[in-house]
Amino acid sequence: MAGRFQINPLKFGILGKLLLSFLLLACAPLVVLGFIAHKNLYDMGTEAVRRTGDMGARNLESAVKIGKEAITDSVRELDKKSTEAIELRTYKLAQRVADFLYERDKDLLMVAASEPDPRRYLQIYRSCQRQIIVSGPWPRTEEEAQPPKLESQNPENQTSWRHLPPYQFQKATIPLFKEITFVDLEGREKIKVADGKISHELKDVSKKENTYCKAEDYFRQLPQLKQGEIYVSRVIGAYIRGWLEKAPEGIKVKPESAYAGKENHQGKKFEGIIRWATPVNGKNGRRIGYVTMALDHTHIMEFTDHVMPTEERFTVHADGASGNYAFMWDDRGKCISHARDFFICGYDPETGREVPGWVSEETYREYQQSGLSLEEFVERLPSFREFTMKKQGSKEQMQAGTLGLDGRILDTAPQCQGWHNGTEDGGSGSFLIYWSGLWKLTTYAAIPYYTGIYGKSKRGFGYVTIGANVEDFHKAANVTKVEIEKSIREQGEDIKAATAENRRMLHQTEMRNRWAIIGVAMLSVLGVCVAATVISLNITKPLKELTAGALAMSQGNLHQAIQVKSRDEIGKLAKSFNEMAAAVSKVDQMKSEFVTIASHELRTPIQAMLLSVSGILGGYSGQIDQEAQEDLEMARDGIERLMRLIDALLDLSRIEARKIELHPVRTTVGEITERALEEIGALAAAHKHQVVVWIPPELPEIEVDKDLVVQVTINLLSNSIKYTPEGGKIILNAQHRGNELILTVADNGYGIPAWAQEEVFNKFFQADSIMSQKVGGTGLGLTISKGIVDEHGGSISCRSPLSPDQFPDLPLGGERQGTIFEVHLPL
Amino acid sequence: MAIKKILIVDDEEPIYTYLQKKLTKLGFHVSVATDGEGALKQALNNLPDVILLDVKLPKLNGIEACKRLKADGRTRDIPVLFLSAKTQAKEIEEGLQAGAHKYLCKPISFPDILKEITALGESGESRLD
Repeated sequence: MAGRFQINPLKFGILGKLLLSFLLLACAPLVVLGFIAHKNLYDMGTEAVRRTGDMGARNLESAVKIGKEAITDSVRELDKKSTEAIELRTYKLAQRVADFLYERDKDLLMVAASEPDPRRYLQIYRSCQRQIIVSGPWPRTEEEAQPPKLESQNPENQTSWRHLPPYQFQKATIPLFKEITFVDLEGREKIKVADGKISHELKDVSKKENTYCKAEDYFRQLPQLKQGEIYVSRVIGAYIRGWLEKAPEGIKVKPESAYAGKENHQGKKFEGIIRWATPVNGKNGRRIGYVTMALDHTHIMEFTDHVMPTEERFTVHADGASGNYAFMWDDRGKCISHARDFFICGYDPETGREVPGWVSEETYREYQQSGLSLEEFVERLPSFREFTMKKQGSKEQMQAGTLGLDGRILDTAPQCQGWHNGTEDGGSGSFLIYWSGLWKLTTYAAIPYYTGIYGKSKRGFGYVTIGANVEDFHKAANVTKVEIEKSIREQGEDIKAATAENRRMLHQTEMRNRWAIIGVAMLSVLGVCVAATVISLNITKPLKELTAGALAMSQGNLHQAIQVKSRDEIGKLAKSFNEMAAAVSKVDQMKSEFVTIASHELRTPIQAMLLSVSGILGGYSGQIDQEAQEDLEMARDGIERLMRLIDALLDLSRIEARKIELHPVRTTVGEITERALEEIGALAAAHKHQVVVWIPPELPEIEVDKDLVVQVTINLLSNSIKYTPEGGKIILNAQHRGNELILTVADNGYGIPAWAQEEVFNKFFQADSIMSQKVGGTGLGLTISKGIVDEHGGSISCRSPLSPDQFPDLPLGGERQGTIFEVHLPL
Repeated sequence: MAIKKILIVDDEEPIYTYLQKKLTKLGFHVSVATDGEGALKQALNNLPDVILLDVKLPKLNGIEACKRLKADGRTRDIPVLFLSAKTQAKEIEEGLQAGAHKYLCKPISFPDILKEITALGESGESRLD
């Protein structure tokens, strides 16, 4: 089981062993070291990048936190300061309005104290004037747009020197009052000063239709007044419609609307009055009538219309869209001053009735289902019911252009409820409200004017409110916030970029290391392979040559020389081999020369012997008797056998020395066998053998050294003849198979044991060792035959014993084992 | 033409002695030379009918001697029978190339040598006529 995966080192060549050892000893540790180094570097780098990233993230986090806290703190501080400043401005504004109104009380009482006189009234009318800012092209000059900056003259005052040039609005002085009248106890006007002159259009003001906008009912209130008591009306004026439309840049005021500050400064301005009245006694101390003074409402609006709760402080035209403006509400909560005049509640001058204020879509639908008129419905609506900015203003009223703000029913604006709440105790304050997508600070301050009906609540005349866009007074903090956020964002991006860069560098280093390690490993593997190959080639090449040389020598080619280049052990081995080969070759040559010389030298005495013996036997030396004749014949046989032996030795030595030269000629197998049989016929006959020849007629011609192949055939035949018991059978057969001609000689002789079937081709093979009886022969015939066949590129072999099945024509059995010799010759 | 005069060229005393004795006994005029130069001299002096020439000879070897005999107009027509212990095919070829009539390999029996000489006489008759 284990053997299945076992590597047998003996199976590898020298190259394999060298490669394996080199790779195990040199490359494997290198690869392991490289891997460890690479992994450690990578881990270290990854950890460094992670820590840098974490540190950056923590820094960024704390920067964000600090920035946020700093901004929150500064916003809170700024908010607090700004809120306080705006609250104060609101409060002061309310005070000024109240003061202004009280001034009018004084005006009234002053007029009431004197006798009613048109001239006197006109004088008072003319003397009661006040400046207002009038709208006009602004700024008029370049200088107004960019007034020269006044610098501090003393360097010690330079720190945070802030100078604002004087406000240079275009102003006009207009009368405070629209009219001053004296009304008798029946309500008939007796004196009237209006439009700068004494008017003669005297009316009966007990009738509403004769009053301002047909809306005044003051005369009904007057009889209840005690002497010195003052009646003050609410704001009365004709309502002027206005339309808002949605535009890409925001809500826009349509030009046909009422005046709306910056948004529509061409529009018609709201015109209204507040009427003061007080009884007038005659000289007799009896009441003779009432003096009334109608304050031009413009002067009230003037308090709020130019206020800017920003650095700008004042403006010609307030901007309703910006949210930064001041406005005013009466004691009931109806709007009496606004940047957009169509928000000011007014009267329908045709009917003298109040135009109902703007309500929510829901409330408007409620009205539509009520069956009442809108005026009636509104009158019955509970104040401040379900106020929420989630509601939308009624579209029908927007289309009608009747958008007066009655804070009690404006249920889309919860801030109205806030102001009303806040002024309940006559105080002031502020709150934040998210309005029109902006956080708005809204302040309120009750106007502490308590004359007449205004004395009914601590709210007094009403309240001043200022709306301010929180973002605007956060501006400084917001700039800082934007800066900090930007710097944090940049820092974050820097950290992100640095982390990414670190990661990229780590990756690059990792890749470089990896390729360097792979490269070095591959180079060393290559180097090891080359070195192993070179070394093994140095060893194996000469070894292979030595092996080949030794093999060639074993096959008889003794002239071997190995190319020796190295001087190492292998070189020495090759050198020794060469020396050995040279020595062996020399010995062999000496042997061949010896045989040649010996055979020549032997022939001479044999010749002498043969001449004598043959001469005697031929009768050239006289008559000899029968016995001498027989003895000399024995001598002659011995001489002839000796001659054959010498010839065979000579052939053998020539074959072994590769001195045999082939003289190939085209011939037929028939010719060869014929010649062989001629030579051998007598011998065969002497042994009483039957020689059978089977040669198919269609055999092709062959190209061989005819004499030598004849000699082979003779050798094989004579071999069979000698080793077959008398009266045997010898079959000579030839056949053509593939590219070969196969010549066989089969006999029913003694046979050759298996162990000797190769050895029989060795020279002087001791036939005695396998034979029970001695047979004459040189012992060289088969060796010479093999040499000749080999020289022709063929082969020779023998088989024994033979089976009767294969050779039915050969009588086998007993000592007749049978042998077949097979010669293969290439065609 | 019957062979009458034979020149034996051999450096082996037993061989030339035996041949001279037996051939003389058979009626031939036999002269002997024991080296190549001697062979050339004898051939010119005696102008034999046949020369039995050994190859391995002192001073001048048999092949060279044969070539000179064949080169000389006076001896050119004398048939040369090589009688040599050099029996390799190459050596036999060389001998025939030098102009010999036949190349006989030692050892050869006396009757065979005699047969060759007699045969030469019979064919020589027809050739010379």
